[in-house]
Order: sequence, then structure tokens, then C-alpha cells
Amino acid sequence: MANEVDSYRFVRGINARLVRSWIKAEPLREIPWTPLRRPLSDCTVALISTGGIALRRDPPFDQEGERRNPWWGDPSFRIIPRGTKADQVRVWHQHIDPSLAEQDLNCLLPLDRLDELVEARKVGGSAPSHYSFMGYLLDPREFLGKTLPQILEHLRSEAVDLVALVPA
Amino acid sequence: MGLAQREIESAGITTVALSNIPDLTRAVGVPRLVAIEHPFGETVGRPGDPDRQRAVLWGALEAAEELTKPGGIKQLPFAWPATANKREGHPPTPPPIVNYLRRHPWELPRLLSRDIPRRE
Repeated sequence: MANEVDSYRFVRGINARLVRSWIKAEPLREIPWTPLRRPLSDCTVALISTGGIALRRDPPFDQEGERRNPWWGDPSFRIIPRGTKADQVRVWHQHIDPSLAEQDLNCLLPLDRLDELVEARKVGGSAPSHYSFMGYLLDPREFLGKTLPQILEHLRSEAVDLVALVPA
Repeated sequence: MGLAQREIESAGITTVALSNIPDLTRAVGVPRLVAIEHPFGETVGRPGDPDRQRAVLWGALEAAEELTKPGGIKQLPFAWPATANKREGHPPTPPPIVNYLRRHPWELPRLLSRDIPRRE
């Protein structure tokens, strides 16, 4: 058994207090469960990043709105097609260093690595569409009510078997 | 992110989440969790480190076969150098909420309790 990951290793200052406080506030919930329907080597996989990644040709995530009201975060999402490279995107997230994934998109959305796993026949396929939203959403209601249903529709239309969520 | 994962899983699609704050992600009640001790902004690995990035992604995807019970957790064994710059992954300037709370420290309890003001 590997050593346990330290949840506070990279959490600075006031954020450690926030994390502890938010952990205590989470209600006990029944955990949903959908078993994997086929072996990984036959699965179509989609990635979702909370990095606020958008194609340069798409509208940015709204950072000005968050500067006006720091309790608010842009609850929309963007599609990042399979094959997208770092020089085709911008990272719109004021709570991380955006320059890392702008140098190498695989830091947050490992599309090239997924292609390699498909090539190696360890994974069935990479979905045509992958997704990003901006993870600073203190009030997630609009995201869960309006944005997520649209993402679900896309996932279904591309017959995705497995979604991997990658935090920023 | 955990709430999104729960919704997708409830809709009938298998999900797995990486997390560098696994204690928080677990508290939300996610179906499959893969813990990784990597900084923010490069959760999968540093720019130009394809071997680590691939190992992390594979470790996460493989967990979809390995974890067979709701709430299952897998710990990825990858170390991050203790000598790494403590600012690595953090934004070049503080986010708006940090500056706001410096000017309005009495509103910190609202953030701690997620009592988020609804404003236009």
C-alpha cells in the first residue's frame, strides 16, 4: 500500500482553514455508482478539467465578473477537441498559475497522453470532445443546473464510457 | 468538481476523479477517487514530463477497473520533490477573493461556512 497523499501539502495560508471547515460542513451523502460497462481497453474516455481552459477562438471565462464580485465564478464550460495543443488554448483561472498548462496542455488536460494510451491499446478510444470549466464556483447551483446537463448531453452523444475528472 | 462527478455517475456514466486534496473530495462523496500529491496548475505533471503525466493518467483510468466499491480510493505513489518552489502552481497575483477578504476580514466566516452572498 502506497503512502497516503497529504491533502495539505500544496494548500497555502487561509486555504488550509477553508479546506478543514468545508470538510466538516459536507453532509453525508449516498454515493452514486455506475460499474464500468466494458474493459478499459474497449472504453471511450473523455477528460474534464476544472482549469478554465478555452480554445483561443472561443470566449474567455469571465474573469472581470469575478473581479467585480469575488464570491462569483463563471459557471460556463468549453469543449476542447481531441488533438488540441497548448498553443491553441488559454487558461482563464485566477486561483492557479495558468502559464504551466499554456506551455503544455497535458499538465491539466492530458489529451496527448490519452492518445498514447489508445495507441498502446490500453484504452479503447479518446472521445472527439473533452471539456473544461472554471473550478472556482463557491455557489455551484447554476453550474449544476444549467451547465452540467449540456455536458452530459455531449457525453451521451459521443457514447462515452468513462469520464476522468482532473482538478486544477 | 466532486459534485459534478456525482451527477455524471448518477446519469449512468462511470467516473474517476484525480485529487490533490483527497480529504475534501472524499468528504463530498465521490464514487472513485485517485489521490495524487502534485501541485495546483500541474496536477497531472510538470510541463514537458510526458512519462509522469502518462503514469498519472493511466493510474487514474486503471482505477476505474480496480475500485469495485462506491467511495473507493487509490493512492498514487508519485513523489513531488521536497525542494520544489513553494509558489509553484500558485497564481502570480492573489485571486480577487483574497484581496477582498483583506479589506473585509469580518466576512471570512461567510467563506468558511460557504454562506455565499448572492449579488447582482
